[in-house]
Formats: sequence, structure tokens, C-alpha cells
Amino acid sequence: MTHWLTRLARRFRALVHGAALDQELADEIQLHVRLETEDLIRTRGLDPMEARRQALLAFGGVERHRADQRDARGVRWIEESFGDFRFALRVLLKSPGYTIPAVLVLGLGIGATTAVFSGVHTVLGHLPYPKDEQLVRIFEQNSPTNRWTLSVTDFQAIAGQAHTLSAVGAVRGRSAPVSAGSEPQTTAVALVTSGFMHALGVRPALGRLIEPSDEPRGAPLVVVVSDGFARRSLGGADHALGRSIMIDGSAHTVIAVLPRGLDRLAGIRSDLWTNLQLDPPTRRGPFGLFVIGRMADGVSLETCRRDLAGVSLRLQGLWSDFPDRDARLTPYSLRTTMLGDTGRTLGLFGAAVLLVLLIAVANVASLTLVRATGRWRELSLRAALGATRVRLVRLVMVECVALAAAGAVLGLALGAGGLRLLVRIGPFIPRLEEARLDIQATLFAIVVALAAGMVVGAYPLLLLLRRDLDASHSGGDRTVGGGRRAQAVRGAFVIGEFALALPLLAVAALLLNSFLRLQRVDPGFAVEPVATPRVSLPAARYGDAAALRAFWNQMLPALGEIGGVTHVGLGDALPPNANQTNNQNNFDLIAHPVGDGRPQPVSSWITVARDYFAALGVPLLDGRAFTPGDTGSAPPVVVVSRAWASHYFPGEPVVGQQMIEGGCTECPRTTIVGVVGDVRYDGLTLPGEAIYAPMEEGNWGRTVHLFVRTRHTGTDALPAVRTTLLGFDPGVSVDQAEAMRDVFSESITQPRHLMTLLGGFAVAALVLAAVGIFGLLSYAVAARRREIGVRMALGADRRAVVRMIVGGGLWYAAVGATIGLAVALVGTRWLAESLFDVSPTDPATLLAATLALLGVALVACWLPARRAAATDPVRALRSET
Amino acid sequence: MLSNDKVSPEPGDPVAERADLLQGTLDLLILKALMLGPLHGWGISKRLRQLSADAFEVGQGSLYPALYRLEDQGWISAHWATSPEGRRAKFYTLTRDGRKQFIAERSEWRLFSGAMELVLKAV
Repeated sequence: MTHWLTRLARRFRALVHGAALDQELADEIQLHVRLETEDLIRTRGLDPMEARRQALLAFGGVERHRADQRDARGVRWIEESFGDFRFALRVLLKSPGYTIPAVLVLGLGIGATTAVFSGVHTVLGHLPYPKDEQLVRIFEQNSPTNRWTLSVTDFQAIAGQAHTLSAVGAVRGRSAPVSAGSEPQTTAVALVTSGFMHALGVRPALGRLIEPSDEPRGAPLVVVVSDGFARRSLGGADHALGRSIMIDGSAHTVIAVLPRGLDRLAGIRSDLWTNLQLDPPTRRGPFGLFVIGRMADGVSLETCRRDLAGVSLRLQGLWSDFPDRDARLTPYSLRTTMLGDTGRTLGLFGAAVLLVLLIAVANVASLTLVRATGRWRELSLRAALGATRVRLVRLVMVECVALAAAGAVLGLALGAGGLRLLVRIGPFIPRLEEARLDIQATLFAIVVALAAGMVVGAYPLLLLLRRDLDASHSGGDRTVGGGRRAQAVRGAFVIGEFALALPLLAVAALLLNSFLRLQRVDPGFAVEPVATPRVSLPAARYGDAAALRAFWNQMLPALGEIGGVTHVGLGDALPPNANQTNNQNNFDLIAHPVGDGRPQPVSSWITVARDYFAALGVPLLDGRAFTPGDTGSAPPVVVVSRAWASHYFPGEPVVGQQMIEGGCTECPRTTIVGVVGDVRYDGLTLPGEAIYAPMEEGNWGRTVHLFVRTRHTGTDALPAVRTTLLGFDPGVSVDQAEAMRDVFSESITQPRHLMTLLGGFAVAALVLAAVGIFGLLSYAVAARRREIGVRMALGADRRAVVRMIVGGGLWYAAVGATIGLAVALVGTRWLAESLFDVSPTDPATLLAATLALLGVALVACWLPARRAAATDPVRALRSET
Repeated sequence: MLSNDKVSPEPGDPVAERADLLQGTLDLLILKALMLGPLHGWGISKRLRQLSADAFEVGQGSLYPALYRLEDQGWISAHWATSPEGRRAKFYTLTRDGRKQFIAERSEWRLFSGAMELVLKAV
């Protein structure tokens, strides 16, 4: 039967046109009464007045009748719910002392949770590419923990042989001077093969992507630009196509503009994507290509892995210069590699925000409990007047839902702001900036709000269902909300709040401790007075080592002449957070060879020139530093750091030891000529193992950092440095002209942000817990006023009263803190990797967190206790008689 | 469910002997009344009084909800028209489904009342 459809339509009509139907019914009833009246006059000969009276009597209550009729329409409960909702809003608005804090606290909790949820949802969600589960990033890997980038040989072998991949693309990133008709600026440029964007499935907003025809050496140089770059530097996307941009001193033609917002591809941030032209390789290495692929339809990661392992074995047969037989080309889900270890950070956020939410809900629930006291009389009265229990339960529920709805609205507003705040002050998390408050986040907020509303209303509801309203009616306020059981429940809430707040506080304290230690770490170099501008030379004019050498051999002495400058050096890594991947090399020690086919050790490999060590203030500990005689024609030499020396030659003399660099067996052996102090290149938390090689041997970089040490601030000489360099060649780009001090403080931004954010959560938890215990004790003091008055009248002194109240409150706090401490001891283990030099169960830190929590509890208890002590016994006794 | 507490006779009513409507029988009675043709609400109550020789006084408090429910079930349909008394009234007509429902309910009722009778007759 399709009858239900008609019925549904009628129900709908009943809901929407309720007033019209009421009118129809009124007409019908009126007619009925009139006909009955006439009939009575006719058949029984009654007079009209009497007849009408009897007709009405026979009919029964007209209003009652209407309600019955509406009931039959099947929409009465909806109409009543609207009524209840209106009523709930009215009730809530009438008690702002309850509603405003409750909505604020709920809104804050929901807002924070929603913001973090949106972040987590976006970051852990799909990549913005079609069928992103097919995308892989390919590494060379020789052990579960050691993987690195690919060589041209690897890439070409995969492109030619791997049949499980439908597209393969390679990227090489670099910084280069870029000019679109203005002064050149050092900009990140990504050189990509045609397969890169095709594998991702990116479509340009305008123009065409890089094609295989752009790949051979000698093909015209082209560039795909981001929408942002087109707007900033080319006067809008519409004017971009066909324009010429100078990149590295060569003209590139703009062939496409990417869609708006696509300013990173596969996690690589770049405004410019040019065609990568690879030369045929002459050996297996060097590595350094970022390679991604798209697996063909229906291919699993495992199948792809076996396919690539086969390619690896064939490569080993062809090239003997790279002897590592364990190395395999290994595909990883692109999403996983982009995510890195952010899962842990996000988990930390999620857990923290959840704790805050739980504390917030506990607080509001406790507040609602107090309020139930005041409501009890009203509800009893309603019951006495004939409201059914179902009706009362619904009334309370609707009120909670109204509260939750207000919390959700506020939470969504705060969540939008919170998300922006999270992106701005939170630690860097890939893709977090893509997070939006979308439909899913909204649904999430609503679900959280409803759940919170249910929890908040649970206890009053339970009371309604369990207790006999009539019995408690006579008892008044005291029996329920002020009753022992309700106070016990509130006490449990407070214990819970403290148990939840302590782990948060412990985490924040551990991060703070770790951060303070990090700040005190000796980075191994003088932070002042050094400036570290970045200098990029255009490839077109400085294509080979000879040109670079000529430039710097002229410029470095000239820069040293600038007034106030004491030392000038060059280096290709900027501590303390140098990009490790570009500055690594493998080596084999002659004294301790790893053996054939075994993976060789890898170290940070920093190339430097002139007075690098002196400019950075790195002490020479043994042997000698580089001299002008260490050139490409002399035997190759390196200087190592102390940490490196004690790792590879513990207790042995290091100077004079020899090694083979980068697996190059035909190259002359490299000799270690000196040992210098440790500089932390890979972050302050890692020891500064490093090998230094002189640029003079031919390893000149086109983009390097100048290390300028002056007598005053370091930055005072920068204008002169800039003028000198640009005066020699206006195509040179000089940027990041910062003092080392700023670079250093920038390097600890991440841990500082993590600490700030979790510190914020901890403070919120602390405040909420304090408010919770304050509310509990304030209520208890008010309820026990008479008792306190009696005690004082009988001679208890004020201090005893304060002790009694504070002691009672602290008992809850202590129980909660003990539980929380147990949770923290287990839970903070999770934090270990985010901590530096602090154990996750560091007793002093945990003790400090506990004491801070109890201290705040003490203050929160003391305030109501003081009020209790101020009770005037006479007035307290009189007021209730 | 149909409630019959409003069917009790008015105090001081001249007709003393009146039957309380059995639970669930009002629907059947209304359907029966409408078998003879479209009627408005008062007409239905009047006809039921006539048919039962004044034994059934349908409480109007039950009548209109019942009418609405029957309409909702699709057994009767309603339309506004002018009554024989010359007034605009809402007329109820039996639908095809309603007719079937009446026949089904009637046979059920007969089964039930026959069985009742048998039981009560037994010695």
C-alpha cells in the first residue's frame, strides 16, 4: 500500500496548517452543537437556552476535545516539543547565573574539540588528489629505519621497467634567484619530470602541464606557476601564460597556472615548477631525487614492492659503484610519508582537548545538579498538578538539548576561530592549513554537544525516574540537591575533574621543562654577533665550479674589508636546523671498513669556505682547519666534529685517519686533518656529528649562507655586504639577512608552540577544576551555614571552621590528583619522543605539577572557607527559624 | 486507542437504559452508519442513536477523534458540502478500503458475539 505516503502528507499538513485545521474542527464542532440544539428543540420541545446547554453538556469540554483531536492527528508530540523548547529557552534565559557559565564552558569545550577534530580530520584525511590511495613515494631503503632518496639511474629504471606503476615522476628542489622583471629573489623552485603532475592527477587552471617533450636536454625551459605567484608577480593568472621568468639566470616561459590554493604538491611547497632535464647517468649515484608514482588500478602496495625489488636486483647487476646489496627501491603510501610523525602530535592534541572537554562537561553537570535543587519544587508542583512523568522527563531533556544547542552554536563559532589559532600558533603540521570547519566538523560539534547535553542532564533525569515526586515535594530543597547523595555525586565530579586535569598539567610541565633545557643547550657555535644572509648565484652565469670559485675568491676578501667585520665564511648548512637530506653523504673508513655489500655509515656533510669556523666561533680541538692550499688539485681532506670522532674512533687518534667518500672507490682517499667542536645541525636535540669538506675542492654551492661576524651586532654590516655583492653582480640574490640570534630562536619555535598550546589546555583544565571545587564548597558552605553557626556559637574558632572546609575540599582534590598521577605515570610515556633530556616520568616535574594543582585547589577551597568563617552565628541561627 | 469513558449517560437523562460502548466497536459503528451514505458528524451520531433505538449514545468526544483516525487510515474520506439543513458541513464518505474494512470487522464481530452468546447460553 502506498497509503503511508498519503498519511505522511496529512501529518505534514497537520503540522504546517495546524491553525487552519483547528479552525475547521471548530466549525465542525459548532455545527454539531447547533444541530443537536435544534434537534432537542424539535424532538423534546426544550426551550433554546436549555437545549443549547444540554447539547454542550453532551458534547463535553470543547477545548479538551480539540486536544484529543490534535492527538489523533499524530503531531501533538511535535507541537508539544516546540512548546517545551520555547519553555526551556525561557527558563534558561530566566536564570542567566546558570545558563551563561554553562553555555560558555560547554561552548569552549566543544569549540576546542571541534577545532582539533577538523585539524585531525583534514591532516589524517584524503590527499587532495584523485584516488590518493594509489599514490606512493619511492625510497631507497637498506634497513627498517634507513631510507633515502633515489638516483637518476633508479628513477629511469623505475620509469622504464616497473609495470605496476601507471605514472612515475621525479622532483628535485632547490633555491635559486628568481626574477619576473624585478630584483631577483631567492625562491624555492621545484624541477619536475612530466610524470610528477600526471601521477598526482593535477590539472592546470590555465595552460598545459609539463610533457615528456619538455624533458630532453635542450628542450625549451618552461615553468608552471602557482596561482599565488601569478597574482603576486605576474599581475594575475590571466596575464601569466607566455610570460618569461628569469630562474637561475635563464629565461623560462610560463605554460600553465595551477588552480588556486594548490601551492604545494605531494607536500613540496613551491610556486614554480620547471621541467627537469636529466642527463644519462654514468654511475648508480648520486641520490637526491624525490620520486612518486601512481600504482595501476588494482595493484596493491605489496605487489608494487615486489615489482620494485625486482628492479633493484637488476640495477645491482648493472652498476657496481654502489655496493650496498641490502638497498631496495621501496614504495610507501604517499599519504603516510607526508604525515610523518604528526600522528603523535595530533594524538597528543586530541587527548588534551578531550580531557578539557570532559572536565568542562563534568563542571556543567555539577552546576546542573545544583540547579536541580531549585527546580525540584517546581517539578514536584508540576507533577502534583497532573504532569506525567514522561512529560517531566521530556521537559528536563529538552532543556539539556537547548543548552547543548547553545553550546554547539558557540562552540562552532569558537571552533572556527580556534582552528585559525591552531594553524597560526600550533606546531607545524603538514596540511593543517587546509583544515576548514566543514559539514563533518559541524556534525561532529552537534554530536559532541548532544552527548554533553545528555551527560549534563543524566543525573536530574535519573532522580526524576527513580524518586517519588510527591514524597520529596514536602521535603523541599534540602532533600535532593542539597542532599547527601547529590553532594556525593558532585564530589565525584570534582574528583574526576582533578583526575583529568593532572595528566594535562603533567604533560604541560614536562614540555616546559624540556623546552627550558632545550634553550640552555649549547648549540656549539656563537649566537652573537653573527649574521647569516643567504646568497644565490644564477646558474646561467655560474654554471661550473670555476665561475663560483672566481666569484667567491673575489668577494670573500672584499667582504672581509667591510668596517667592523672580523671574520667571513661560507657554508652550505645553516645550524641549528639545517635541512639534513641535502647535506648527507656515506663513507667507508679505511681503519674500520664495513665490508662488501654492507650499508656504509652516513654523516652530515657540510662544505665550508674561508673563515667558517672562526666566524661561527667553532673551536679547533685537534689537527688543523682548512688552508688555502686545500684545493681540488691537492689530496682531499676533511675536518670532523668531536662527536663524530668519538663515535667512529673512540679512544683512538683521529687526525690522519682515511676514508672513502660516497662509495667512490676510484676517487683518491680522503684524509681527516682536524677535529672541531660539535655544532648541532640536525636540531638542538641531536648530537652534532658532522664531517666538513672545503668548497675549494670543487664543491661550490650556488645557494650558500654567508657567516659574517662583526664587532657589534652582526647585522650592522649587512647593508654593506649587500651593496658589495650586488655591486659586483646585480643578478645575485641576497636574502634571509637575519642575525644568528633570530635563526636560533626560530629553531625552537616548534617545541615552543607545542608547549604553548598544551600549556593553554592545561591552564583551561586547571581553571575548570578550580571552578568546580569552588562551586562545590561554596554550595556546601551555604547549605551548612546553620551548622557552622551552631559550631561557632558553641565555641569553635574561625580557624577550625576554615580547616574543616578547606580540609573537606582538599580531600576531593587529593583523591583526584592521586588518580590523575597514576594516569599520568602511564600516559606520559607516550610523550617521550617529544621530550628532550627529560624522562616522561620525571619525579620532580610530576611533583611540581601535582603541587601546582593542589595549590590552586587550596585557593579555590580557601575562598568559600573564609566566607564560612565570617558567618555571624547569631544571624545564621536566626535566619532559618 | 478508543476510550469509551465519555459515553456514559448524562445524569437526569430520560433514557435510562444505555449501553456502554465496547472497546473498539465505535469504528465499526461509524463504518456501518456510513455504509448507508455520506453523513456529517452529527448525522452519524444521530443515525447510530436511531439504529440502536437510542441504546448507543456516541459521546461526541470520542466521535471526532475516531473520525479523524478513520480518515487517517484511509477508510473514510471527508469533504465540505451543504447539508440538508442548509449549512456547510464536513461530510464523511466510506472509501473502497473502508468498505472492505467494514466487512472484515463485521465478520470478526459476528464471530465474537456469536461465541459470547454461546458461552453465555451454556448452562
